[in-house]
Amino acid sequence: MAATPLEVRNIKKRFGDTEVLKGLSLEAQKGDVITLIGASGSGKSTFLRCMNLLEQPDEGEIILHGDSIRFKQTRHGREPADMKQVVQMRAKLSMVFQNFNLWAHMTLLENIIEAPIHVLGKSKKEATEHAYVLLERVGLTARAHAYPAQMSGGQQQRGAIARALAMDPEVMLFDEPTSALDPELVGDVLKVMRDLANEGRTMVVVTHEMSFARDVSSQVIYLHQGLVEEAGTPGEVLGNPQSPRLKQFLTPNY
Amino acid sequence: MPDISAWFNDLLSGNLIFTPTTLGYYWTGLVTTTQLVFLSLVIGLVLAVPLAIMRSSRRKWISLPVYVYTYVFRGTPLLVQLYIIYYGVVFFDGIQQSFLWPIFREAFYPALIAFTLNTAAYTTEIFRGAIKATPKGEIEAARAYGMSQGLMMRRIIIPSAFRRALPAYGNEVIFMLHASAIASVVTLMDLTGAARYVYSRFYTPFEPFLFVALIYLCLTFAILFFFRFLEKKLLAHLKPQTL
Repeated sequence: MAATPLEVRNIKKRFGDTEVLKGLSLEAQKGDVITLIGASGSGKSTFLRCMNLLEQPDEGEIILHGDSIRFKQTRHGREPADMKQVVQMRAKLSMVFQNFNLWAHMTLLENIIEAPIHVLGKSKKEATEHAYVLLERVGLTARAHAYPAQMSGGQQQRGAIARALAMDPEVMLFDEPTSALDPELVGDVLKVMRDLANEGRTMVVVTHEMSFARDVSSQVIYLHQGLVEEAGTPGEVLGNPQSPRLKQFLTPNY
Repeated sequence: MPDISAWFNDLLSGNLIFTPTTLGYYWTGLVTTTQLVFLSLVIGLVLAVPLAIMRSSRRKWISLPVYVYTYVFRGTPLLVQLYIIYYGVVFFDGIQQSFLWPIFREAFYPALIAFTLNTAAYTTEIFRGAIKATPKGEIEAARAYGMSQGLMMRRIIIPSAFRRALPAYGNEVIFMLHASAIASVVTLMDLTGAARYVYSRFYTPFEPFLFVALIYLCLTFAILFFFRFLEKKLLAHLKPQTL
């Protein structure tokens, strides 16, 4: 059996005096869709950003396919010992951001082929062919030569998902992918994400979309103040919440 | 073409100032000005890119020397810098015997050095500002997609910053063209130098200075149009699409 694509153990992170993550763990097996839910400030985005080291966790392990990231202690705290290893690891975990973060000076197509060519070392021809397949999937073939500023938020986010897919990632990390979108644009992006989940992509998703969490995820983790309050299948966590806090979180307040 | 040359001779015969000889001075001046400005801008630009990257470094011992350099050259008048390099360098012991002397003996090279160092300082700061203004999310995306520091600089930050810097850099180019007029004070026959020469020969201030002012205007327009063209091409990504 293949080793676990992504495993994180006992992640701790503090910003100044505030401890935002107090020992979080997670294990994503192949094909898992893990959703992280929780109120803002619960640490779910920070947790996700620790997984590809956009934030440096103060403690804890990150293991990809049994390969643990090495750290060293410096004056500034703990840092990765081998940046090469981090770069390789990031290439296997592609991330989709809340604010899309497409590179503004490149067309959508250029955005998609950039990292496959310059990080993975693919040929331009191969990367471009793959990019068109992905553009077709997310329904943006006609926008290949548009710049991000010329696209709607929903188009940009679907484009960003295509960019993430172009890396052939083992695990995809989604950081509130629909939170910056107008309500009528959310559906298109969620549909693309549902398709990805159904085809067996391994995904870790920070989201406020409860219906997505309920329908798609294999595991739901509810975070509260940097700790796991409840975790389990969507049926357990969302269908039968135990803690009063989660019950309140799930109750629509209108 | 007898008609045109006859017309031209007719035009010139009526006055002493616009003779073929003086037009020759202006032409030499135009060539000198163009060479001086063009060379100093090109060399300054080549210097400014690495300097701006160093200036943006978080490591103090890399950024501080560059900051001192740009601060000194932006904090003192270009004319003073030119005087120091043209007149001051002579007093270094042994320079008149060294291989550098043929370079510093001429007026052109000290002027070129002063202009280059000056424009490099300004351009460095323009680029640094543009580098600093790179959207944080784009840098984060580059890191998240496994780009190394160098690759990110080369593929994301510099191309994006260069575009942002373009309008400000266009102004710097025009500024350098106009600043080059002071090269005439160190005996260089640039455009202004030619006008001064004609003025002192004929004691007619108006015609030669108005004439070179006109030439400077034309050059400025050419630069403006060139940059407008570049901006249209390179800043297309910021404009909403018109279908």
